Order: sequence, then C-alpha cells, then structure tokens
Amino acid sequence: MMRVLQIAWREFSSTVLTKGFIIGVLLTPVIMVVAIGGIALTRNLKGPQVTGKLALVDRTGVAAPGIVDRFSPEAAAAEKAKAQEAITQAMDKSMEQIPIDPTQKAMAKGMIGNEVDKALAKIGRLSVTVLPDDTDDAAIQTLKDVLGRTDIHAATKDPSLPEPTVGLIIVPREAVFASEDGGYAEIQSFWPEKVDFEIRERIHRRIGDAIVDARVLTDPKFAAAGLKAEDIRRLLERPTAADKVVTQTGEKKTAGPLQMMIPAAFMALLLIAVMSSGQMLLTTTIEEKSSRVMEVLLSAVSPLQLMLGKITGQLCVGLLILVIYSGMGIAALIVFSMGHLVDPFAIVYMILFFLIAYFIIGSMFAAIGSAVTELREAQTLMTPVMLVVMTPWLLWLPISRAPNSMLSQILSFVPGINPFVMVIRLTSSEPPPLWQTLTAIAVGLATAAACAWISAKIFRVGVLMYGKPPNLRTLIKWVRMA
Amino acid sequence: MSNAVTIKGLTKTFGPKFAVRNLDLVVPTGSLCGFIGPNGAGKTTTIRMIMSIIFPDSGELSVLGQPSADKSKDRIGYLPEERGVYRKMKVAAFLTYMGRLKGHDGGAPLKHKVAGWLERMGLAENAKKRCEELSKGMQQKVQFIAAVIHEPDLLILDEVFSGLDPVNRRLMRGLIDEQHRAGRTIIFSTHAMYEAEQLCDRIFMIHHGLKVLDATLGEIRSRFDPRTIIVEPASSADTSASELRLETIPGIDNVSSSRDGFELHLDDHADPRAVMAAIVRDVPVRRVELKRVTLEDVFISLVDASEGENTEQLRAAVGATGGEETGK
Repeated sequence: MMRVLQIAWREFSSTVLTKGFIIGVLLTPVIMVVAIGGIALTRNLKGPQVTGKLALVDRTGVAAPGIVDRFSPEAAAAEKAKAQEAITQAMDKSMEQIPIDPTQKAMAKGMIGNEVDKALAKIGRLSVTVLPDDTDDAAIQTLKDVLGRTDIHAATKDPSLPEPTVGLIIVPREAVFASEDGGYAEIQSFWPEKVDFEIRERIHRRIGDAIVDARVLTDPKFAAAGLKAEDIRRLLERPTAADKVVTQTGEKKTAGPLQMMIPAAFMALLLIAVMSSGQMLLTTTIEEKSSRVMEVLLSAVSPLQLMLGKITGQLCVGLLILVIYSGMGIAALIVFSMGHLVDPFAIVYMILFFLIAYFIIGSMFAAIGSAVTELREAQTLMTPVMLVVMTPWLLWLPISRAPNSMLSQILSFVPGINPFVMVIRLTSSEPPPLWQTLTAIAVGLATAAACAWISAKIFRVGVLMYGKPPNLRTLIKWVRMA
Repeated sequence: MSNAVTIKGLTKTFGPKFAVRNLDLVVPTGSLCGFIGPNGAGKTTTIRMIMSIIFPDSGELSVLGQPSADKSKDRIGYLPEERGVYRKMKVAAFLTYMGRLKGHDGGAPLKHKVAGWLERMGLAENAKKRCEELSKGMQQKVQFIAAVIHEPDLLILDEVFSGLDPVNRRLMRGLIDEQHRAGRTIIFSTHAMYEAEQLCDRIFMIHHGLKVLDATLGEIRSRFDPRTIIVEPASSADTSASELRLETIPGIDNVSSSRDGFELHLDDHADPRAVMAAIVRDVPVRRVELKRVTLEDVFISLVDASEGENTEQLRAAVGATGGEETGK
C-alpha cells in the first residue's frame, strides 16, 4: 500500500508542480477573464458613426414632416428615454430572482444607459433634407451620381467640410396609401459605399415608424375612432407572463436560462477534470514506457501496484482541478449573490460521479498508455474513449431540457456516459428520483470496476511490449492472456 | 549452502517461439554467476521471469526462499538491460524515490546514502541535475546505484557492461566485486567475456532457450582444455630446425605455426608436463606455455557447434548439467 501511495505522490507532484500545469490550469481562468474583458472593451469602442444629410423624396405628401421629426434632437431624446425604460423593466424582471443590491443594480443600469447613448450617437448627427414631392427622375439620377462619389467618412473625420448627402430615401405614395389589393409598397433607399448595416437599419426603423404614423393619421377609419398610432402600437404589444411553479411547499418563480447553464457548467467541469487527468495519465504512462524506466519500476512493484499508484496520483490531480474550478465558479456566483443556485448536494454528487467517470476513463487511458510507445500511436486506440467523452456534449441540451424524459432515463443507465448524464440531471430543475440515482451509481461502480479489471490485464502485458502498436483485437488477446 | 535462486523445468513461449525451454538452474547463495549466451538466446526472458516481471508457462521457481520474486522484491536489486530513468527528475530525487520503492524507510539516512553513492561514483555535482542532462555512462552509474541503494541480498544485472568505456568498465568491475565480497549473490548477464572470466565463479550459458553450459570456471577450463602447448623459439633464424625437432617429441600429434612460434596439439594419452620438459630439453626456446581456454573460445565453439548440430545433442556433448541434472 505504501508503494502505491509513493507512486501516487510522485505522479501527483510531477504533474502538479510543473510550469505547464500551473500555467494550464491556474492561468486558464485568468486568460478567459482577460479575454472576456477584452471583448467587452472592444464593444465599448464607438461603432461606426455617420454625419450628413438624408435626401427625402416623399411622394405621399404626408410622411415627410413625421420623418423630419424623427430625426430631431427631441425625438432622439424621447427614443433614448423609451429604450432605457424598456431595458429597466426587463432588468427589474430578470433581477427579481437574483437578489442584487441597489448599488449594483444602479451600476448595471448606468452601464446599459451608456450603451444606449452610444448606439443612438451613431445616427445622432443626421438631418433630413426634404426634396419636392415631384422631383423627377433626372434629378434623382443626379443625386444618385453624387452618392456614388461620396466618402461618408470624410465629413465625420473633418467637421470643417460641408455636410455630404449620405442617403436618398424615396417614399412611394403606396407606402402610406394602400393599393387596391390592400398591400403597401416598400421604401426605396440608395446609399454610398461603406454605410454600416446597423446605421441603415436604425434609419429605416425611424422612417418606418413615421410612415406607420402617417398611415394611421390618413386612414379615415382610425381617424373616426380617434385612434393614434401610439395607441395601436400599445394594443399590438404581446403581454408578458409572470411564471410561477407550484410545489408542495408553495409557489416559486421559475428559474431562467441561468438554471439551464448550471447543469452544463457541472458537466463541463466534470469532463475537464476527467479529461485533463486522464490525458496526463496517458502521457506519463507512455513516457515511462518510452524512457524504459518501466522495467526498473516493475522490479520494485507489481504492474497492478504501478497502475493503481498512477491512477490514484492522477485522481488527485483531477480532484485538484475540480476543486480549483468549482471553487472559482462558486466564488463567482457568491460574489454576484447567486450562490443559492448551486445545491451543496450537487457538489457531493459531482465528486461521486467524478470518481466513477475518472476510474472508467482513467483506467482506459492507462491501458492505452501501457500498450503504445508513442503518443501518436495512441490516437487510433483513443476513438472509443473519445466517443464516451463526446456523447455528453451531444446530449446535454435534450437532457437538460427534459431531465426526466425516457431518453434521459435510459441514458442514466448506459455504462460509460451515465456519470455525465446523471450530473446534468441532478443539477437540473427536475432532479431524478432517488432510486434512479442509486441505480446509476451502482451501474457506474460496476463499469468502473470492469474497466479497471480489463485495464489491469492490458497494463500487465502492455508495459513490456515494444514494437508495433497493438490494435483492438490484440488488446482483447492480451486480456485473455493475462 | 542454500540457493539464492532455484529454477526447475522453466518454459516460456512467445507465440510459436520458445524463448526458454525446460531450463534448470541453481544459483548458490553468495556466488557470482555469469549468464552468457548469444543475442536472443533467452537470457533477458529468464531474468525477467526470475524477477516476476513476466511469468513462465510452466516450471518452478524459487527466489531467496520464496516461490516468486514478488514476495522478495525488496531483497533484490535489478539493473535491466533496457535502462531507463525519469528524464525530468533530478538525480538525487530519482535515487531517493527508487530507494523508497524498494522498501527503504527514507528520510535523512536514505539521503545520506544517496549522497554517499553519488560521491563514490563521481556524480556528486550532478545530484541536482535532471537525469536527461547526464551522459549515457553517467545514467548507467545512476541506475547501478538505484539497483544497490537498498542493500539487496541478490543483485541481478542484465548486460551491465554494455555502453561503458574501459575506465567505467573497470569501475563497474570493482563495484561488482565489492558487492560480491559484501556477501551478496550476484547474477549478471553479459557479452563481455573478459569481465565474466575475471569476476565469476560460475557460468551459465543458454542458446535457443536451452542451457548449454553450467559450470564453475575451473570445470570449464578442464572440460574445454585444448591440450595445446605454445612454443616460442629462442631465435627466429632456426624456425624450421625447431619445427623438425618438435615433431619428433613423443606425445605431440600435430604442430602448427602461429604468429610467434608454434602450437603443439597433444595426443590423448600424453602428459603435458613430460612433453613440456622434453621441449625445454631438446629445443632452444624463449617461452613454453600450456594454452588455457578462454571463455570467448568456449562461447564461440558452443555457438558454432550448435549451428551444425542439434542443440540437445550439443548440450549432452558438453555435459551442461553443472551441479544438477537438467531433467531431460
């Protein structure tokens, strides 16, 4: 037993106390935070802005004033206020389930307000020049030619230049007054090169709103009923719903998408820990074989002791990764006052299923490592292991959306993948019944024991085999032989 | 005297090929045995079976009084043919780790022991270096330390002299001799016949998995006595006259020329001492010497002989029974 622990300690220390591990495991989250910060920073940069005039040909004779209004500073202010109001409401709703203190809430609102400001600033310096209703095709063509030569960025960069025309909008009569078949015509717009799609969309939204207003104003039916465009818009808004789940202990609010992310996070954590330590087990076994230190070790310990020691050492590495990452995750949740989303029991289950998954995948890696002499020879034998590892990624969504479906229940008992499936189910909003959890644990333990038994046999034969790498059939022969 | 290793009817096959066939072997406690044989003869397979690294298909084994080395690994030191160290591990740390794996309690005594051995081997300055930074010869010394650090009762060294320069060969010879004098039983396989001859008190040879020689050095010398006398004439001027006179001496059935003189083969009934006295009396000579067989001669003659005849017959011919019957 002491030897197994000595091998385990060497395996653990030689893996953990290396620059590679420290950089790989400890700095990965730091790098991720920096990367996310970097992305946030680039989002903070001002997007494309445009300065100039929009030429408007309003064939309807009624839409132009509304359109001009929509581009006035007052309209921009109103638009901003409205957007902020909508965001505030949405935030209030989503934050109901998250007890964030008022200061943080205010900060978040302030940040979102800034974002709105920036978005509006993009077209804040546009004005509308209304051309006569009957502008002829020749004049329109001249304008198009001007647009063809316009550099939209020049005026933005140099305010001393005269404001260029950056777009031509033609509103046909049928855009406001329905044709005989009841349909409306589309607006025609012409742009110089390099006008950002987001800018075009914002301009269209304002013009579109103004045209809808014009339709309501000019339609005798609405006029007779005294309805304004605002009223109709409000009427057409879909109601929001306040979901509540009724349980035996009372009502509770339904968890949002965040609740679906928790099982995914748990499963990812499990996979990262299992795969990292499994891969290292593979690498160190191959290294011992290729550096020929294996036979020296086997003169001191039996192959089984060696394998057990190595598996135990890397198990500790996996647990360390699990503790570091889950600790960071839980700390982050607590900082954002979301600690209640993680059930302490889920962590216990995760560790239990980590042990099962690790013994299944780890012993497979150890067996593969013992059978080959180089890492690239291991690739072909890795396929079955990779299948086991990839399946949970494919199944995450269907299982976390329906944790008690027939598929989820059946997969809970499929050897190899069931630890991952159970972790998703256990951390979902509808945990499985206890008997299923216990059965899954039993299936997992049996699978782990079988894998360890087979691997020990392969390991015993494989460690001293050099030369041509074995195929699956040879491995089966070794199992029978040992 | 008890036996450190006893092997009876040991057989191991790899697929259709016999690696070791019905091998019987006895290594007396405290002896220093050389294990020789051509490449692929089955030496390493036998050693690995003694070490319980691989297991025989049939046969019985006893190592240090136990039915397998598994039960007495701590009392055995092993230097495998395929040498290996943890490349990234520091030299002293590697030796401490191996010592602990071999059942040493560790702590300060083990550290001192490691430091002492490194000092003796001239590796003290390399204690903190990674194993990969050492030369091949240095690595071999480190591995030898790993094999003896726990003061084993039985030391098994597979191809211990391979890859060493003459200076280090001499050093290794001294170390093996020292371990032997300390009372350890030593088995070493080698192709270095000179070293085997210098060190061993018993030699085993296997060929094609069969034991073809098992005897003490004295037994080998008498069994393979070439019955040849080497004569170097006093001057090179009267060579032909000397040859004529030598041919007339009774008991000599053949005279052949060599670089420095002649080799005289004795007939079956001649007394070498009487013939040598007659030579000194009749022929002016600078040197008269009874030729002694070398292990290399025995090795080559056994291998050559086996190419022409059945190894079983060869084994019977050379009487490869040693102290024990082979069972066949």
